[in-house]
Amino acid sequence: MTIRAPLRRENRAARTRPAARPATGPARNWRDGLFRRAVTGVVIALALVWLIPVAWTLDTSIKPENATILIPATWGVPHPTFAAYGADFSATDLGRWYLNSAIVTIFVTALTVITASMAGYALSRGTFRGKRLLFALILAGIMIPPQALIIPLFRELQSAHLINTYWALILPQVPAPIAVFIFKKFFDGIPIEMEQAAKVDGAGWLTTYARIILPLARPAIAAVAIFTFVWTWNNFLWPFLAATSPTMFTIPVGIGTVVSGVGIVNALQMASAVLGALPLVLVFLLGQRQIVEGVAGTGLK
Amino acid sequence: MAQIMLDQVDKTYAGGVKAVSELNLDIGDGEFMVLVGPSGCGKSTALRMIAGLEEISGGTIQIGGRVVNDLPPKDRDIAMVFQNYALYPHMTVEQNLAFGLQMRKMAKDEISRRVREAGKMLGLEPYLDRKPGALSGGQRQRVAMGRAIVREPQAFLMDEPLSNLDAKLRVSMRASLSQLHDRLNVTTVYVTHDQIEAMTLGDRVCVLRDGVLQQVDTPQNLFDHPVNLFVGGFIGSPAMNIVTARLDRPDRDGGPAIISFAGYQLHIPVEVTGAKPGIEKYLGREVILGIRPSDFEDASLADPGWARMPVTANVTEQLGTELLVTFLIDAPPVEHEDTAALAADQGEDEAAIPLAGGKSMWTARASARSRISAGSRTELSVDTSNLHFFDPRNGLAIGHRSDPDLPP
Repeated sequence: MTIRAPLRRENRAARTRPAARPATGPARNWRDGLFRRAVTGVVIALALVWLIPVAWTLDTSIKPENATILIPATWGVPHPTFAAYGADFSATDLGRWYLNSAIVTIFVTALTVITASMAGYALSRGTFRGKRLLFALILAGIMIPPQALIIPLFRELQSAHLINTYWALILPQVPAPIAVFIFKKFFDGIPIEMEQAAKVDGAGWLTTYARIILPLARPAIAAVAIFTFVWTWNNFLWPFLAATSPTMFTIPVGIGTVVSGVGIVNALQMASAVLGALPLVLVFLLGQRQIVEGVAGTGLK
Repeated sequence: MAQIMLDQVDKTYAGGVKAVSELNLDIGDGEFMVLVGPSGCGKSTALRMIAGLEEISGGTIQIGGRVVNDLPPKDRDIAMVFQNYALYPHMTVEQNLAFGLQMRKMAKDEISRRVREAGKMLGLEPYLDRKPGALSGGQRQRVAMGRAIVREPQAFLMDEPLSNLDAKLRVSMRASLSQLHDRLNVTTVYVTHDQIEAMTLGDRVCVLRDGVLQQVDTPQNLFDHPVNLFVGGFIGSPAMNIVTARLDRPDRDGGPAIISFAGYQLHIPVEVTGAKPGIEKYLGREVILGIRPSDFEDASLADPGWARMPVTANVTEQLGTELLVTFLIDAPPVEHEDTAALAADQGEDEAAIPLAGGKSMWTARASARSRISAGSRTELSVDTSNLHFFDPRNGLAIGHRSDPDLPP
């Protein structure tokens, strides 16, 4: 049994508020506008810092080779040429590197999504002994710099006679503790009742995972897939070590050899870089919305 | 359809917390059984054990004569409706309804027949192609019901299915749920914390507290013959008024007993004491007296034979169909673990204004025609044939025919 207090005080507060607002209104609007302009300025300045090298790369790649070494360097040329691009395919193994990169990246991305989502699901919903310890170990994996693992990994694959094969390029890049973490966190946020409903409906573990959980995890899958794709495509150090013959090079490794193999050829090098980055631009254009959603939805930076 | 039997069912969580202890419950074929109690009383746990979503620590559960203790949920032939509906957000309404049937490898035309039938029954036909996100709360609730109905299971298990709806929708869904049960006549176990839902829906209602069964009976019997102070206070709205009172019988040779509290003295009809075996032991001692608000009436409109209580109306609430009169009586609020549990459940610690000087607040329900106004001195009548007496120590109703397993 309760007696409600009269609401008079709230009413009085509500009456005074509109009177106070006009005084601060225009001032605040003016400040807001200024702030917005300042922020936009900073963003544009930062974007330029990133954009200028990219523009320079593009610009250089369409210059005739002799125009790239002029001092002082200038923007643009009177007669742009795509000769460097053509030379890329004729003078280097670029086509082969493309294929290698594509194979490695696609397999790494697919395997990472499959294994990390399964591991994340097990860690989120499973009840088994040692679950917390396992999760802590996986988290600890995030803290270990990949460079520290390179020599042991190399020795491991060497003794398995896998160096200079796709296995060597793909397998060590698959285990991604951060992806497991992202999936676990995402699954934690799915109401458990959804799975219980599926259980009562007669779905087994695998059906629930494949037909209920995975479709719901699309934002997480998109985020992990896109980031894994970009990381793997751009990865240099490991493929540089694991691929010892030019036929197994991936694009970043191959571009490195363009420098040393043919001498410093600026236009060629820049054209290779542009071609190498092209798939990433495509991925970004296609997956732009998923990237934003995924980053926002999973707390990934 | 099937009978559900719980025999000495226990649930102990890791760490030793006992959520349900020694629960015995026979739910008849086609019966609508409501499990009710304050939050944390174990009602949901009991339901989830029947569903197979929670392991049973002890005892046995039978559905349709089959012990299901070790069966996974899908083999128990039950369907469940969850509080948050748990619809699959990436599937259309139709796919949501069909999912459980597909999992059972049912023929396609049978699936579509059942889905269409359920859609029609629940008025979901226009929404079959929509996803749950594009539905209102009430529509989602109906889809959740539909998902259970298409399965044509032996029993429906419902875990607070209406508590996510707004008050008005809840009332209308309550009515349609009731109709649906009359039509399908499937054994239903329904969990709620809302005693009005329990009273209106249940063929029988099972009141739980701290994992212990308090009373199972028809709604009317629960209301009229609560087994203890807790059930008495939990069932009925507004809640039963209680006070510590003294029971006496001035006339040694079997005359009417008198109950006195807060300066009032009410004569108890001989039939009332006669129907409560063992009440003689309490003569000359203190008991806890309970009077339902509905057993009061404005004295000017009441049966002239009823006992009278002069009071000062503190607050009156005209509800159109009845007038609620709140008044203070000159006795401290009863302090008993049962009443403390109820107060905690209703959050009264925060909501109520503390009363000064050992008074307690009572509520009476008078006819809407009553002219009682706030602040006025007035007279209420009490139907003394419906007084409730509880033992002040254990809170048990005095002279109750308290066999919890009595048939309805």
